[in-house]
Amino acid sequence: MSELVPLSVLQQRVPLGEVVDLVSFIEVCKSFSDLYRIGVKVFDAHGKRLVDIKAGSEDFCGYVFTFQTGKERCTATVGRVKDQPVPGKDVERIQCFTGARYLVLPIVYEMDYLGRAVLGPFVPDDLVELPSTLLDIGPETPNGSPAFDPPVARALMERFRRAPESTIHKILLHFGTILNVMVFSSYRVFLTGQLHLESVKESNRVLEDKNRELQANFDRLKELDTLKSNFLATVSHELRTPLTSIMGYTDMLLEGLAGPVKDEQQQFLKTIMEKSEALLGMITDMLDLTRAEASRVTLKRELTDPARILHDTFTTVAPLARKKNIEIRERVVGSLPKLLLDRVKVQQSVMNLAVNAIKFTREGGHIVLEGQLVEQGDGRFGGDSWLELAVSDDGIGIPNAQIERIFDTFYQVDGSSTREFGGVGLGLALVKSYVEAHGGQVKVHTVEGTGSRFSLLFPMA
Amino acid sequence: MQFNQENRELSLKVVYYGPALSGKTTNLTALHARLNPDVRGRLLTVDTKSDRTLFFDLLPVFFETGSGLKVKIKLYTVPGQVMHSATRRIVLQGADAIAFIADSQVEQTRANNEYWRNMQDDLRLNGLTREKLPTVIQFNKRDLPNVRSLQELEDIRKRGEEAMFLASALNGEGVVETLHGLLSLTHVRLEQRLKIESQWNLTRKEFLSRIFSGFDLAGTHLSTAVS
Repeated sequence: MSELVPLSVLQQRVPLGEVVDLVSFIEVCKSFSDLYRIGVKVFDAHGKRLVDIKAGSEDFCGYVFTFQTGKERCTATVGRVKDQPVPGKDVERIQCFTGARYLVLPIVYEMDYLGRAVLGPFVPDDLVELPSTLLDIGPETPNGSPAFDPPVARALMERFRRAPESTIHKILLHFGTILNVMVFSSYRVFLTGQLHLESVKESNRVLEDKNRELQANFDRLKELDTLKSNFLATVSHELRTPLTSIMGYTDMLLEGLAGPVKDEQQQFLKTIMEKSEALLGMITDMLDLTRAEASRVTLKRELTDPARILHDTFTTVAPLARKKNIEIRERVVGSLPKLLLDRVKVQQSVMNLAVNAIKFTREGGHIVLEGQLVEQGDGRFGGDSWLELAVSDDGIGIPNAQIERIFDTFYQVDGSSTREFGGVGLGLALVKSYVEAHGGQVKVHTVEGTGSRFSLLFPMA
Repeated sequence: MQFNQENRELSLKVVYYGPALSGKTTNLTALHARLNPDVRGRLLTVDTKSDRTLFFDLLPVFFETGSGLKVKIKLYTVPGQVMHSATRRIVLQGADAIAFIADSQVEQTRANNEYWRNMQDDLRLNGLTREKLPTVIQFNKRDLPNVRSLQELEDIRKRGEEAMFLASALNGEGVVETLHGLLSLTHVRLEQRLKIESQWNLTRKEFLSRIFSGFDLAGTHLSTAVS
């Protein structure tokens, strides 16, 4: 990974308003205000008002605010409530010019100043007379508005709480304790949520890096694979040329074009011919496969009778099966319609399966070549129709762990040099590419030690 | 390390790192139990139903120096379970000191080694260099059978430069000593980086005594060293 881990919330100071759930926080403050009949205000460290609940002071403050001087003094008081420094952890008193009072408690969490809680305004119980700072706010009526009326003010002031300062002080400390618990719980929830998010993002970042790495490796492997295919194609081609000469000259010798051949020599030449043909078969397979891998399988579709393919395969492999004392049967269920298939490639595929079956079935075993129409798939309106050509045997089967790999190029279940069964491991890879070129599928059902059933499915439409 | 000259605030991050179930949270719980509530915050733990750390534990310790410098030390643990590697990396971000809590049991050697290596990777990905970070190793669970012998631990110590401490965190033994050793090293680093002693008049002795006078030191090796 090249980049550093992004900055975590653990490394940042988070404002109070972001930590707490404001709606619930205001609800708690409201219920507290109702219980003690006192206004509650909460500001964050930057003076932003988070909570402002009034308790009976609205009319009085509104009345005072109608006078210019009252308005100015009120604004100044509110400014002090909001911003006046509150050093330490102790409660500060802020005196209003009306004689009312506010008590301010700093909200400190782990030594960090998060904001302040304010209770008030309240009327201290020692306030007997309205102070002169209130009485002088509206002595004259220059524009005809009524003068400040002390009895009105006194009556309005009665609507909010009168209490000893020590009582409000106690209530504020209590409120502070509740706040502290709320902040702690909120902080915990906040950090949990944020860290969860960060962890997921970080895991995702790591996965993305790994994916990039995998993709790069994959691209490289693909490139190597193409190189390998090209190499194989060239080699197969180059091998075929001299082999053709070998076979040609052997044939000429066999036909006596170079003079009479003795029986024993003829036998040897026949063996050379047989083995050369087998070698040519393998080379052709290799060439076919390199073409298939390069997605260059070109189909020559013609109207083909599937039953005929089965029967041709049957007649071709029957002598081979007999030699191993294996019973081989063909079974066609119902009548199979003719389809547009590449007859040669499908024939080659079925033949391949049949030869494999014979190879991996013990003496006295059984092989069945089957053809039928099947329905398969989870379509909304039922399964789709497929032509199935299958070869089943009661041979050695395939170990579960190997099933996925048997279609790999050159793969042999028994890869040891001393393995019992020959071949270069190209057959099934070719079968798969031929069937898939038809839009079909190859399915295998196998039980180790009991037998296998390979089925080739071709779409009906 | 977050240092705000204007507000005279210094914030330090100490991270307890180590393999799963080596006792990182137990260390913090033991410290919390011994600390005077006036100098610490609440122990914040985010764990699962089975008491396994989910994201981290956090124990803040704070004090103000004679010269008016506010010092806050946040002790964090990382979650030890293998699946939480991303969270470990996040919690390690900005660490100023590391206590690596190793499990003394012989069969945990592989886990100790693996997490030690993971820690180097995590530090690198956070732009931190371990060589520059004050680091101590605590061999925890000394009370269990089948733990590394003292001779073996001595050999292990010689493989690196980190100071080593023995502990049985569940019994509260060795945890305060580990933190003391680590913070002592941290002061050296603070002096290198911030000139904490020469410019801010915070001597090593004051730094440690401000913190450890808030601890109940009874039964620890520090009961006479700090007063």
